[in-house]
Amino acid sequence: MRRHVGLLLSLLVAAPTTAKSQGYRLRLDARAQAVSYRGLTPDSIPASEVIAGSTGSLTTPDGIALRCTGGTYCYFFRPGPERQGVPVSGTASLIMWGLGIPDLTLHATGRLVADLGDADAWPGTDPAVQLLEGYLEYSRDWFAGRGGRLLVSSRLEPIGVDGAWLRARWNRYDVETTAYGGWGLGQAAVVPITSPVLNPLDEWRPRDRQLVVGAELAWLPGPLDLRGEYRREIEPETGDYISERTAVSLSVRPRADFQARGGIDYNLAEGIVGNADLSLTYLGPRFTLTAGGRRHRPYFSLWTLWGAFSPVPYHALHGSTEVRATDWLRWRGRAERYWYDDAEVTTPLIQVKDRGWRVSTGVTVNPRPRWTIDGEYLAEFGPGASSRYFDAMVEFDPGERLRVAAYGGVLERPLELRFYDARTWWLGGRTEWQAHSQWRVWADVAWFNEDRDRPDPAATTFDQVRLRSGVTLSLGTNADRVPLLPARRGRP
Amino acid sequence: MRPRSLFLAIGAALGLGAFGVGLIRSQDQSRFPHLQHADLFPVCTSCHLGMIEAGQPIWPDSEVCTACHDGTIRPRVDWRPRAGPRPSNLRFDHLTHFALGNQCSQCHNQPGATEMAVLPARPGPCLECHAGGAPHLEAPSAACATCHLPLVEARALSRERVAGFPKPPSHEQPEFALAGHGKAAQLPSEGGRFTVAASCATCHARDFCITCHVNAPEISAIQALGADERSLALAGKLPVPVTHQGADWLLKHARQSRPSTTSCAACHTRESCLTCHVGSQPAALRRLPSAGPGRGPGAQTARTAPASHTAEFANRHGPDATARPASCETCHVRPDCLGCHRPASGRGSGFHPEGFLTRHAASAYARDRNCSDCHNPAQFCQSCHQQAGLTAAGRLGAAGYHDGNRAFLIGHGQAARQQLESCASCHAERDCTACHSAIGGGFRFSPHGPGFDPDRMRRKNPSLCIACHGLGVPR
Repeated sequence: MRRHVGLLLSLLVAAPTTAKSQGYRLRLDARAQAVSYRGLTPDSIPASEVIAGSTGSLTTPDGIALRCTGGTYCYFFRPGPERQGVPVSGTASLIMWGLGIPDLTLHATGRLVADLGDADAWPGTDPAVQLLEGYLEYSRDWFAGRGGRLLVSSRLEPIGVDGAWLRARWNRYDVETTAYGGWGLGQAAVVPITSPVLNPLDEWRPRDRQLVVGAELAWLPGPLDLRGEYRREIEPETGDYISERTAVSLSVRPRADFQARGGIDYNLAEGIVGNADLSLTYLGPRFTLTAGGRRHRPYFSLWTLWGAFSPVPYHALHGSTEVRATDWLRWRGRAERYWYDDAEVTTPLIQVKDRGWRVSTGVTVNPRPRWTIDGEYLAEFGPGASSRYFDAMVEFDPGERLRVAAYGGVLERPLELRFYDARTWWLGGRTEWQAHSQWRVWADVAWFNEDRDRPDPAATTFDQVRLRSGVTLSLGTNADRVPLLPARRGRP
Repeated sequence: MRPRSLFLAIGAALGLGAFGVGLIRSQDQSRFPHLQHADLFPVCTSCHLGMIEAGQPIWPDSEVCTACHDGTIRPRVDWRPRAGPRPSNLRFDHLTHFALGNQCSQCHNQPGATEMAVLPARPGPCLECHAGGAPHLEAPSAACATCHLPLVEARALSRERVAGFPKPPSHEQPEFALAGHGKAAQLPSEGGRFTVAASCATCHARDFCITCHVNAPEISAIQALGADERSLALAGKLPVPVTHQGADWLLKHARQSRPSTTSCAACHTRESCLTCHVGSQPAALRRLPSAGPGRGPGAQTARTAPASHTAEFANRHGPDATARPASCETCHVRPDCLGCHRPASGRGSGFHPEGFLTRHAASAYARDRNCSDCHNPAQFCQSCHQQAGLTAAGRLGAAGYHDGNRAFLIGHGQAARQQLESCASCHAERDCTACHSAIGGGFRFSPHGPGFDPDRMRRKNPSLCIACHGLGVPR
């Protein structure tokens, strides 16, 4: 562990003096967080020790609700030990050029991560050295090629590939085509699916990494962007499909103040329609209005069995608006109604909702030039879980280089399938200081208090104090790309 | 009277009193009471002969005053004639004007007033001859130079006097700051030398222009002005053009700057664009001048999200980002994407609001957004749930986590099909195949539901079928 921290510190200290090439831009970002929480521990007692309440409920002698299935033992959850996580990470993002061949550049983003806490409680801290991207790019006006570790953006979700990516453009016909292929990484991960870190529950995993191939064809005449894509993942040894999907997406902006976009993807391997969406946006001088619909169906690779359980999609209609009433007042609102397809399951003893809705509204006020007040309310009622949520933030921007914010909020969360209604409060403060044009530091402290309303003593708590801090350095032969404070609308 | 009103009244009275005393003292010290002395000095030349005769003194001897103001006849007066000319930016010579037949009263008296009712010189008579009778601050530009020195030559003027320069009505026009003043300042060059309108040079120097003008070195009118730090006593304000105030300006500005950046360069340095353009730099940006000596700092831009980036946009930007990555890259760099799509463990809040961890169950359950775009379900969900004791340890229902309903085990089908990703965040497949499998002790409960295409699945990946059916996969 200390070796990793030492490596990170060495990188931060040494980089400004050693990273001298013909041209480079290096961005270093280090951050740390300290969190503690208390989870659950499964437990059991002999059925003979169960206490039967007056209403027929079964509890342990100290009052915790039990589940007895007629066996020798009855089962329950009791509050678990307090776990402390101190995840730290250092990310370096490098671009180098002037490598001897014109138009050739090197791009790399790597990360060192560790959990300094005693319980290794935080996810994503293994392996300690992670390569997010690392590739050589050769780019001309009409052609670009990349080779190495790539993160390919796509409507079919971003996917990591160790391989090659090529793009050609025919400007005369407004056509662009892309192809890529290589050995894939795990879904939303920087390690392959064969890595143990992607298998915490010791499930079945393929022996080899999947092969990924994909292609995209785009037609880009002026305000229109129409593209179709195809992606296939296969097991190299057996040739079995892990996925085969295709998608079409469209974006059109006939006027500066109007935009329509949408798309649909189809799972060729399973013969089902996946996600789809369509939205229309009007950008008025004083307000923005968006309306649309979407369909969401979860996607599972075919090396899992989950797809065979036939998850059903939900459909949603939504609308949102943002009104810039004055120079100092902005109001926003969003509403969505959604409903699931028929699951074709008969469950007379359980009534599960199959539709829900969510609304949110917020306001941002700039009472004085350097002050921002932001508040947001959200209510969500749907199958499985619901929440009502309010948070507020006050930010003071005393100068170009410093930003200070205080925030707080409250959340009420009833759960449908579990006795765990809860109310959580939190308060926090955050500051960002652009100490120099090339480096920035920030710190954040937040206190969370959770009050769980449970009819037995098994109420656990997620009370937390979170301490977070970070530093970002931007270095380079032409270090004109300074790390920026987030856009003003952003909430901490 | 309420105490607050009383304090206000007292404050106002004290303020007015102080102002009045100051005014009286100021008049006493600066002006000689000519009218009171009219009987003693009936004509101007009694004391100021030097104004009309070369070589004569322009001030009386102070002993003339003490002849009466000796402390006995009259209160003592301590007065000394001023050394040198009055600090001014005027090009004026009394001798010349007197030789042309002008009288003192033309400038120093109101029409019809007695000669010794002396006032500071009025510009009106000057303008009658030199500017066709135009109002002082509306006179033709060339007329300014007839009577006034350029600011850089009027060295005797203090910064405070410069700050007190009157503001011409033309400067109040809405378009003056953004368009009008440039045309007014520009004159044809003379013999290769920069020239500038006298109306500008009378009150302004280059330093003043540079407070706004990034392109000062390229503007001949500004270069024609001399440098003078006193010009900063007049505060220039850079207004935001009306075109820049529309919600769609961020979208439009690229198209408008593409053909020419001349007008952009008036107010914007390259660095002001880099406030937002941290990604790939457009060609128009590279044509702008960098900040440096001789150039103004320019408009101070704030990185503001475009109108299209509403609060909703963060959740739905995927299609735009994949369709038009070049648009994103003008303001975002790769680490911005990776920060969310491959989040670091030590990362604080960012995409999600504060407290999201405590409410993520609701969002994950109803799939407001696709968690697996950024989080690997095994690495992020299962491992964390495992640490918190939230993963299943055996056959579904044995431990009783879903204690909201005792019959959940036999009625979980609908919930599972609606939120299968949530199930998979705590359960391994073997928890389900314990009942839903045709082999290995399973109860042969079919998990297949609407839309299931067994033939296609078997063609694509037969091992998937074998996992539950063994080699006896039904056809």
